[in-house]
Amino acid sequence: MSAPLLVLDRVNKIYDPDGPNPVHAVRDLDLAVNPGEIVALLGSSGCGKTSTLRMIAGFEAVSAGSITLAGRAIHDLAPARRNVAMAFEGYALYPPLTVRENIAFALKSRRRDRDGIARRVAEIARLLEIEDILDRYPSQISGGQQQRASLARALIRPADLHLLDEPMGQLEPQLRAHLRGRLKHFIREGGLTVILVTHDQTEANALADRIAVMEGGVLQQFDSPARLRERPANLFTGAFIGEPPMNLLEAEVEARDGRIIFRLKGGAPLDYPAGELSPALLEWLRRGGRVTLGVRPHRVRIGPGGLPAQVLANQWLGDQSHVAASFAGGVIVSVEHDRVPHGPGAEIGLTIALADLHIFDPASGRAIGHGGRLVEET
Amino acid sequence: MTTLRIENLTRRFSGQTVLRDVSLEVPSGSTLVLFGPSGAGKTVLLRLIAGALEPDAGRILIGGRDMAGVPPEERGVGMAFQNFALFPHMSAFDNIAAPLVARGVPGARVREAVEAVARLLKIDHVLAHPPRALSNGQKQRTALARALVAEPALLLLDDPLRNVDAKLRFEMRLELPRLLSGRGATVVHVTQDYREAMALGDRIAVLDEGRIMQEGSPADIYLRPATIGIAQLFGDPAVNLLDVVPAADEGVHVALSGRRLSLDPGYAHAAGRACVLGLRPEAIGFAPDPAAPDAVPVTVEAETPLNEKIVTLVVTAGGREILVSRPLGTPGPAMGPAAIRIDSARALLFDRATGRRIAPGRSAPAEAAA
Amino acid sequence: MDHRSLLERWLRGIALALVVVFFMFPILWIVLMSLQTNETILRSPPSVVFTPTLQNYAALISGRLETEAGALDIAFMSNLMNSVILSVGSVALALVLGVPAAYAFARHRFRGSEDIAFTLLSFRFAPPLLVLLPLTLYFQDLGLADTYFGLIWVYQLICLPLILWIVRGYFEDISPDIELAYRIAGHSWWATFRRIALPLAGPGIAAAGLLAFIFAWNNFIFALVLASADKQPVTVGALAFVTASGIQYGQIAAAVVLSIAPTLALALWAQRYLVEGLSLGAVKG
Repeated sequence: MSAPLLVLDRVNKIYDPDGPNPVHAVRDLDLAVNPGEIVALLGSSGCGKTSTLRMIAGFEAVSAGSITLAGRAIHDLAPARRNVAMAFEGYALYPPLTVRENIAFALKSRRRDRDGIARRVAEIARLLEIEDILDRYPSQISGGQQQRASLARALIRPADLHLLDEPMGQLEPQLRAHLRGRLKHFIREGGLTVILVTHDQTEANALADRIAVMEGGVLQQFDSPARLRERPANLFTGAFIGEPPMNLLEAEVEARDGRIIFRLKGGAPLDYPAGELSPALLEWLRRGGRVTLGVRPHRVRIGPGGLPAQVLANQWLGDQSHVAASFAGGVIVSVEHDRVPHGPGAEIGLTIALADLHIFDPASGRAIGHGGRLVEET
Repeated sequence: MTTLRIENLTRRFSGQTVLRDVSLEVPSGSTLVLFGPSGAGKTVLLRLIAGALEPDAGRILIGGRDMAGVPPEERGVGMAFQNFALFPHMSAFDNIAAPLVARGVPGARVREAVEAVARLLKIDHVLAHPPRALSNGQKQRTALARALVAEPALLLLDDPLRNVDAKLRFEMRLELPRLLSGRGATVVHVTQDYREAMALGDRIAVLDEGRIMQEGSPADIYLRPATIGIAQLFGDPAVNLLDVVPAADEGVHVALSGRRLSLDPGYAHAAGRACVLGLRPEAIGFAPDPAAPDAVPVTVEAETPLNEKIVTLVVTAGGREILVSRPLGTPGPAMGPAAIRIDSARALLFDRATGRRIAPGRSAPAEAAA
Repeated sequence: MDHRSLLERWLRGIALALVVVFFMFPILWIVLMSLQTNETILRSPPSVVFTPTLQNYAALISGRLETEAGALDIAFMSNLMNSVILSVGSVALALVLGVPAAYAFARHRFRGSEDIAFTLLSFRFAPPLLVLLPLTLYFQDLGLADTYFGLIWVYQLICLPLILWIVRGYFEDISPDIELAYRIAGHSWWATFRRIALPLAGPGIAAAGLLAFIFAWNNFIFALVLASADKQPVTVGALAFVTASGIQYGQIAAAVVLSIAPTLALALWAQRYLVEGLSLGAVKG
């Protein structure tokens, strides 16, 4: 693998450090982004993702740590000298210029040939479906169109790194799926390296190769969408990633007669042969005590056998069914890709395979094991 | 038991007709979802039912009683608002208690009823707080509690889940039917989220430009949408639309990238017409054998996971973009050349000129009900 | 970084101090004047060193003014009373008329509603002198000249538009859904107005009332023409200090201090209440 393009080394951001209420917005952030990669910074508001983006772009001073882009330390450079392109959340289109002039602006300042510019603008306009509004002014087009124009302006500019701040929040729902696909294809074909900031995990999952999940200024996990789903590092990412969210169950561990039993609230047992667990995880569980179990809704299987549950709601959405059932003193959610016949009140059986079980330490929130293996083994 | 009947309702605002001859019937104890884009007239219709506005023509009957000239406080409805509309100068308790206080319920019974509904909605610990001290989710639950507390026979929900985050919205969507069942209330629920409409409605009425475009069960709307527009509104990712002209020789088929896609023979009457083929992303799969006669060659351009599904953008040789979706965890193709296979039994056909769905003929008896 | 912000802080402090001095100086000066005799005020060159005296205030309160030309009766205290009666009376009447009107204008669009509202506002544009002459004639015919009732009526030209337009804005800021929610809960139109609209627009009504009070208090021209000596407010009454033997600066200053004291006190007290009321986010919920 080639050397990373962007490296954040123990980056900190403290707002108002001498004031009465200093805010430590970003703590000791280490992040390495490879060339050609799409990385999402994901978190709820106030998690530090926007501060991080603004530090990379140069709109915010780095309180401590260093940022290196393509081998140059950039954290002390002025924004214009970092060779970074950015699409702003508020679009920041130049009002006196048409959409076409806005998009071409970044290219003109580099004195490219006219035909080349026109061709590039036409290409990206077709991709983002803004061809018919190229000659209008920003004030004459809708919020979604402004957002697409701003995206076009950022993506067309040659730069080492492209930063996109909430790039698709205002996009028309019917266009979103297409635009996501086209954008991802465009970024790949052009070999661009992109960092996008979003609070919407659907967007992060759809576009990113790797997602940096942030909370309280601390990086929780930096991994591919699939690994975030299958191997969450802690309860926070486990519960945060996934729509619908992961089911969490409190359990007491029992080991006897060659079996491992997770006794849920109300006594229902999740029972697995000890031989299916890795020896290391078995070793850890044999100490007994409490654990928090996690299972993704689409891994909760409805069918004959299994533990008894009672359907509370069964909602068919056209391509998926969401079933909520009362189970072990709480509510468990199952997602099926076909229609489920059981109506509210129906008694059903639920099975949860060991391979789909996530085990967390309830005290620290740290993940202990996934799918019958200790975290260290996966 | 309360049935809501709406007859030929029309409402204009300064010369513009925002509701045009709307008729609906919501049987006692059932839920009707009013679905449509913003500006479709959903909110006006709800306000007409609540009595905040009077219609220019038509009648509203609640439990058989004509509501013309009846002020909102005498209609016996409960309502929850998109912006919650909590009384900012009263505590959550007083907010919820307002409908009971107005009915002259004695203090002890008010306390009992408010606490019961608050426990059900898990806000019993914040009853003393004013609205500004509540989180968004708690505000929403307080607004719902206020609408439910007096056990109204008709409940109007004006997009109550819109202003909360995705997680809360999902939780509440699963919880709402349980809160409503057992109360026997007739419910009119307004939303712009098709998932909410599918999940919560016994029936869905699709409103656009002040008219009812289609009314039916969630399955009717999703599987047999009346128009291209409705097909596009239901489903994420949206339905794929391809311009085709069906031909009828040896069965009915359309041409797709040089391959023949066979359609239901019932579509024979559409042969030769300019049509639009509607293919839901989940009705398309990847063909294991690209040489198979029903496989359409494509290029895979991007893969974008979406809510426990994987959505793939593919492009046909003719440059048409198609979205394909499959459940998470099932294998898919690599970037580059591949082939797709279309489940033609789930294909929709629309007339290109009118945008209306073409129902297949007699050979498909299951479709007759539509 | 640090010393720059220190310099910034200094500069900002100096600028603020200048502004405060600029605005507070006249008040300070008039207070000083009110504590001096006419002789010390008029001496040249002026000096800030003097022996303070309360004789100006004593003269105002006792109602007897000693000048070189002899004793003079002044009615300052009754003028002050008149100001209170006229201002409180007209603000009260304007609130009773204006708040429901403002609610109507905010909630109901009826034919000509904008025109009526604008006509009411235009009363503020018309120069008072324009209406004074005809008014004087009417009032004499109607027997309203030189009555509190007549003056309060005329003062509505000042108070009513102010209250109507400010309070209307506050009513418009209350989401109609909040009122609809209260009505659906089973409350009548009137109960909704009293328990939802009025409390939520409270800060706005208070602000409008305060402004109207200050305008009414400061009014000069209406009272000058339409009121005789026993109905005159302080603004007109202060003319009595321009006597044949000279202008009684000391007494004028004392009269000014006494007459601005109530509005100043009211403004200071209401400021706290207003800021609190507005920052409650009263209409946001």
